[in-house]
Amino acid sequence: MNTINPFNLIARMAVAVCLLMTATVGQAVSLEYQIKPQQIAKDTYILQGKMQDFSRKNGGNIMNTAFVVTSEGVVVFDTGPSLRYGKAMLAAIKQVTDKPVLHVFNSHQHPDHFLGNQAFSGAKIWALPKTGEQIAQNGNAFAENMYRMVGDWMRSTEVVLPTAPLKFERLQVGDHSFRFYSFSGHTGADLVMMDETTGVMFAADMVFFQRMLTTPHTPGVNIWIQELRRLADIPFTLMVPGHGPVVKDTRGVDQMLGYLRWLDTTLKLAADQGKSMHEVMQTRLPAAFTDINLGQQEFLRSVVHLYPSYEEAAF
Amino acid sequence: MKIKTIFTLCPSLILSVLLSVPSYASEPAEDPLSSVMWDYNRQIFLGDTPYVFDDRVRVGVPDFAEDPTQVPVDVDASAFAGDIQRIVAWADLNPIQHIFTYYPHPDVVPKVSLRIKVQQSTPVRAAVLTKDGVWHVGGNLLAASGGGCTTPSVGNADPYWESHLGETKSRVFQLADASRYKFRVIHPMDTGLVGSIPEFFIQQVELRDTRGSALVRMELSPPVSENPVITFDVAKQDTKHHLWLRDNNGNEFEKAL
Repeated sequence: MNTINPFNLIARMAVAVCLLMTATVGQAVSLEYQIKPQQIAKDTYILQGKMQDFSRKNGGNIMNTAFVVTSEGVVVFDTGPSLRYGKAMLAAIKQVTDKPVLHVFNSHQHPDHFLGNQAFSGAKIWALPKTGEQIAQNGNAFAENMYRMVGDWMRSTEVVLPTAPLKFERLQVGDHSFRFYSFSGHTGADLVMMDETTGVMFAADMVFFQRMLTTPHTPGVNIWIQELRRLADIPFTLMVPGHGPVVKDTRGVDQMLGYLRWLDTTLKLAADQGKSMHEVMQTRLPAAFTDINLGQQEFLRSVVHLYPSYEEAAF
Repeated sequence: MKIKTIFTLCPSLILSVLLSVPSYASEPAEDPLSSVMWDYNRQIFLGDTPYVFDDRVRVGVPDFAEDPTQVPVDVDASAFAGDIQRIVAWADLNPIQHIFTYYPHPDVVPKVSLRIKVQQSTPVRAAVLTKDGVWHVGGNLLAASGGGCTTPSVGNADPYWESHLGETKSRVFQLADASRYKFRVIHPMDTGLVGSIPEFFIQQVELRDTRGSALVRMELSPPVSENPVITFDVAKQDTKHHLWLRDNNGNEFEKAL
């Protein structure tokens, strides 16, 4: 009676394997964005991302998103990098208010600013007309790239296009008046939202602070510089950059202008000296910029994006 | 009878082969980049010629390919100046491995820069054949998200290149100890790996003096990026040079520098 039943053995092995798998899964980090709304002004909250590059550890939570609770309902500015983030953001909003989300704004075409749209199906999703076209054209490629870079955090995320092209300059929502500015320096179509009721400027990626700016879709460093000068003329009480801490003054814009001018001068000089792209990449950042997160890394990327046009101009 | 002859010949054949192989080739050094494709590519590009891994052959690539269709590569073999038969560059894990073969004249600083397409993360190598018949192999690892060789050229979506094919811009720069020729030529450099777009690329590049003799002779392969930007360094610039290019469709382009 003590003979081994082969089926029994297989069953036992299967149970053992299952137990082993459960143990392994149990050890995996649960994919949950640890986001907490931080009130920065009356009715105004931000969800501050990490000053990092996309990774499997941070799930793409590297940007700032924000929401304003008006007397009528909630206005959301940018929705994050994934469906999971969008849902977490919605849950964070629910912690603060029961009011519905009425308006969502996508500041620009980059994936960390609109891939959470899926979670806001009940609201109007506004973006500059050109941003809508850019997302329609590049959105899927951006999303694929995000799946590659941050992995399972992206599960079930799909591109949801902005539903309404933003063509107005002002919008009154309940007791808040919003003003919209259309720029192009970062990606060709960049929305800046000013809440004139509180004086908070949502600058999105027109301004990076303490996290080095990125240039893959800039129409040109000089265009960005000119627009930042215009942006600096708009009075505000608080500025929420797209990446990095909130500032009360023009430090964000000043840092941007300092770096962009240095970048322009450096690339122009290198092109006039006949340097190859790889030689330019050996340039070290001056001391003024070395404490900006990801400085050297983003400089290398920018050389690839920008140097060919400087070379072309130097022939 | 025939079979017997072969058997009798065999031991002496083996012996002669063993004796003729230099000692470092009989114990091949391990590939410092641990590439699965090293032996395969070595057979193709170096054959059975003796080789050494040599840090003096400097291959400059970034750690990461921000744009897999435009990856900057600098090859610097100036440690072997005047002693070079040819330089071959390739990317181990590209579908088309060969990048260029370069035959530098002794008056040339054997240093070249260009940009390439990569299909995935890969070692990028340059091998320098010195006059004593030994290959010196250098290289570096490049990380990439990929797709560079199977992405249609930008020109493919824009007919601009059709009316500007071969249009070349160039400039001579004075470096501390040499003159640098840098040029950019409009060409789609199609790899043939994109559906319905056949291979179409610049195959030959020469930098010639007024008498027509070549200071630089270079053979390119399709992984060289679209609208190539290439630099050559020349030790002395006491004569006028011109650039001569020819693509695989037989189009020839010339430009005085």
